[in-house]
Amino acid sequence: MKALSRQTIAILLGVLGFIIPFFVHIPGLSEAGHVALSIFIIAAVFWMLEPVPIYATSILVILLQVFFLSKQGILFPENSATYIPNSYTDFIGTLANPIIILFLGGFVLADAAVKFDLDKNLTRILLKPFGSSPKFIILGLMLVTGLLSAFMSNTATTAMMMTVILPIIAKTDLDDPMRIGLALSIPFAANIGGIATPIGTPPNAVVIGALSTQGIDIAFTEWMVLAVPLVLIILGFSWILLLLLFKPKTGLVPMDLKGSFQKSGSALFVYVVFAATVLLWITESLHGVGSSIVALIPVAALSLTGILNKDDIRQLPWEVLWLVAGGISLGISMESTGLAEWIITSIEWSAFSALFMIIAFSLVAIIMSNFLSNTVSATLLIPLAVSLATSGVAGEGFSLILISLVIGVSASLAMMLPISTPPNAIAMSTGSLKTKHMTRAGFAIGIFGLLIVTLYALFYWPLILN
Amino acid sequence: MDHKVYILVVEDELEVMDALVKDLEKFEPFFPIETANTAKEAKEVIDYVLDHGHTIGLILCDHVLPGKNGVDLLIELQSDPHTSISKKVLVTGQAGQDDTILAINKADLDHYISKPWTEEELEMVVRDELTDFIIEQGKDLLSYMQILDAEKLSEAMRKKKMTDH
Repeated sequence: MKALSRQTIAILLGVLGFIIPFFVHIPGLSEAGHVALSIFIIAAVFWMLEPVPIYATSILVILLQVFFLSKQGILFPENSATYIPNSYTDFIGTLANPIIILFLGGFVLADAAVKFDLDKNLTRILLKPFGSSPKFIILGLMLVTGLLSAFMSNTATTAMMMTVILPIIAKTDLDDPMRIGLALSIPFAANIGGIATPIGTPPNAVVIGALSTQGIDIAFTEWMVLAVPLVLIILGFSWILLLLLFKPKTGLVPMDLKGSFQKSGSALFVYVVFAATVLLWITESLHGVGSSIVALIPVAALSLTGILNKDDIRQLPWEVLWLVAGGISLGISMESTGLAEWIITSIEWSAFSALFMIIAFSLVAIIMSNFLSNTVSATLLIPLAVSLATSGVAGEGFSLILISLVIGVSASLAMMLPISTPPNAIAMSTGSLKTKHMTRAGFAIGIFGLLIVTLYALFYWPLILN
Repeated sequence: MDHKVYILVVEDELEVMDALVKDLEKFEPFFPIETANTAKEAKEVIDYVLDHGHTIGLILCDHVLPGKNGVDLLIELQSDPHTSISKKVLVTGQAGQDDTILAINKADLDHYISKPWTEEELEMVVRDELTDFIIEQGKDLLSYMQILDAEKLSEAMRKKKMTDH
């Protein structure tokens, strides 16, 4: 009953927050801005307190926007001086935003890979060169986890890698700190690896989606050039950190991964499609075919051959696509109604340096996503960053892409708590470690991440973007 | 955890029951254990558990019981959708070949443990059966990682297409 009342309170709070802007006039905010504020409040409350699943909140956002903010809705059928209403198709169209299609392609590929054990077999092959000393085994595990989670979901990668490390942990002495180091290496590497490509994890989609509504398209390769060096450095730091904090006692790690690549015709076809798609994605700058367009190839190829059957299609994680679409949709209204700009201009930004703002956005994103879903954190922060950059109040040196990247990357750097990310929750559930271990290591990675993101935003990213 | 998964032990000899429950102790925090001395009592316990919204994950059943015997009880439970999903293990020294065949064919028996059992053997069977039950019933896998076969649960998560959010 206690859980129920907490849920009810969250719903009441959200609904109350939704109603208030309808009755309170806020100076400087357009009429449509009030409505957008209502929707923003209910979305933020629901996303943060989760009385309903986060994807359901996203669907609600789109519904409310269509009803109250679209040209076909009930409040703004005509253009006015302060608001040119979006067509409802702008809001529902976010579900077919190129980044959503790109994710769909990623889902389908990952799905086929798991179906034919490609993920496991790749892991087996890639881990071989790392020998059997604990140091290098952990490095190998982290690199492979990072690589896979760049293309599959961080959570699915973690689940798969758990099947690899659990037998090792079981054979390790109970008092060997390596057990903890191993159990943390996987979720951390998965969280970090997700940053590496646009399809690695949903916060990346939020960033790319928000930028695309501003007319800025980030190519697959461009994202990788921006993100991969950062991923490698943070992975390296995390490796050393885990070795220092949880120094392995044993000198030898038993590693016998068995299995063989499936060789059926379907399996071979999946390998080819997988390789071809990834190859086309990472060579976008050479051939110029957009990654979302390429993403349609695996979807079509695998369903035409029946490898992706009706049940597989039904079981795709559609809720993640809704979640991201709702976020992009909310951003549209915050922009077009002037709400985001109103929030931004109520603060005297010119008093702050670009450096300060980079650190502030990164820090807030890291803190928020330690407690909230990474996607939600990015979704709530991105519209502010976009207005800050487009309204010009932030002054020179404040680039839209730059600050969006800062938010997107930082949202994936939160790993202090079991609730921070699903991979963390999986590691915690094994019982090989205590929360304080995760918090200590996750805190260090958060601080280091903040530092690296700041340095990248100041020195490396401008170099690539200009 | 509002919806609990129960272990039911059906055994008429007190010492044997005590020994079984003692060997199952480590599962108790995750899977509450209920006991019954007869088939009739077992049915009452099951009704009680189901009425409260919980499920029976595993039934460890002796064969020779006063009144209806263990195999007949398991066959009866197999015809009820609420208990056909439960894992069924016969723990006995006295079931003849015919009864055992009957249990396998008609009660979809999942395992046969012959008395006397060892603690390790019992633990392993219970862990395996409950792991399968949890996966088949789509329960929250994470909450059982510590007590059940974590590797198998992880593999199930991998196949379940878990996503980030």
